[in-house]
Amino acid sequence: MYLRGKYRETDKMCDLICEHYRVLLVMSRFGIRLGFGDKTVGDVCRETGVDVRTFLAVVDVHIFPEDEQGMDFPEVSVEALIAYLHLSHDYFLHYRLPDIRAKLENVLRHERDTLAKAILLYFDEYATEVSRHMRYEEETVFPYVRALLGGKPLERYSIAVFEKKHDRIELRLKEFKQIIIRFYPSQSTNEINSVLFDIFTCEQDLAAHNSVENRLLVPAITKIERQKSMKHERTA
Amino acid sequence: MSAPLKVAIADASFLMRRGMMSIFEQIEAGSVIELLEIDDPEQLKTILLNRNPDILIVNPSLLGLYSVQQFRKEAPQMKCVALLVSLADTHLMGVYDDVISMYDSAEQIRHKLTQLLAHCRRGTEKRYKHLSDREKDVLLCVIHGLTTKQIAERLCLSFHTVMTHRRNISAKLQIHTTAGLAIYAVANQLVTLSNHLPPPDKDGNGSLPLPPASLLF
Repeated sequence: MYLRGKYRETDKMCDLICEHYRVLLVMSRFGIRLGFGDKTVGDVCRETGVDVRTFLAVVDVHIFPEDEQGMDFPEVSVEALIAYLHLSHDYFLHYRLPDIRAKLENVLRHERDTLAKAILLYFDEYATEVSRHMRYEEETVFPYVRALLGGKPLERYSIAVFEKKHDRIELRLKEFKQIIIRFYPSQSTNEINSVLFDIFTCEQDLAAHNSVENRLLVPAITKIERQKSMKHERTA
Repeated sequence: MSAPLKVAIADASFLMRRGMMSIFEQIEAGSVIELLEIDDPEQLKTILLNRNPDILIVNPSLLGLYSVQQFRKEAPQMKCVALLVSLADTHLMGVYDDVISMYDSAEQIRHKLTQLLAHCRRGTEKRYKHLSDREKDVLLCVIHGLTTKQIAERLCLSFHTVMTHRRNISAKLQIHTTAGLAIYAVANQLVTLSNHLPPPDKDGNGSLPLPPASLLF
């Protein structure tokens, strides 16, 4: 079932993580903790109450972020996916971005005041943008999906609207990174490099997060919408 | 490394847009291009104004009241390609850089697109240049939160000249946000006490949702 050299639920969780350390981020957002010994992916998921198929599908998107072909993902649990996306938003807004900002602030202590302010201002504008992007999903998209799952009549919204306006939030982080690399008049490089490493991984992580929404959530919801409208036509 | 090329695909048909997009994705497997989808003339206008695409692939029937000549004036570096679903007068197609027909073979389409991308990439390599003195003046005004209209008045330039300067600044520096330009200006010491601008006019600075970069100085 999980072809394309992908992972199965009978693989060991430890092997999966050692081969793809970025899965650590996915794991913690699903609420899975370390210390699982030699258990398989399936066992660890079941013990934590995580839907195995959804977990593996999200892992796949993270491991193959650029792979747009073959979107033949197995059925995911929409509830589990929404719960995961919600925790991811929380992670980016309340942990990841503030953490980068704090490190940035620490590095900038040694710089001219105006430069420090200019860089932090850029970062804050970016964080506001990310927060707006995610708030839209939390306040408009997720409630719509929950209503759809609850069998309530469709409101005047469809997942196609989301798909159309869903922009790539990581792109501006790319610009930020490039500005720092090209123009930062650095004395000591160790500290700023460490922040850059964080920004690089955060950018990748945000891109993967967006992919999860585009490649797992959108197709799953489109399918439900189609089933509902077919049912509606039959009864009408 | 330069920013990804931006390709806007404007056609009312979903099938045509997605078809073009998937061909681009095949050619550019590593995806260093950003694809923008457009399905009506209003959206076309907004995207051209705000996103500055490098390549516009447009179905001529989607132009509405706009013309290719107009685009040429406003975005001279942008490549315009006609996307045809029917026969068209070849004279009318002369204004475009290239024409792709719905009936072109896969090989023809791929060849045209590869050429186009290669051409644009050559263009971008020359982009990193130093700013001219006039561009520096405009840059300072921009980061102090002045609108294009206010800059035109202050520097006694036409609105369009200021727009062109702004576009060139962004293209040369590969920075597309005011906050980013502010970092560039500070890092390169373009902003010092001697060229400190007076704060912008009272009537023009209330519309920004975030603190303008002018708060820095």
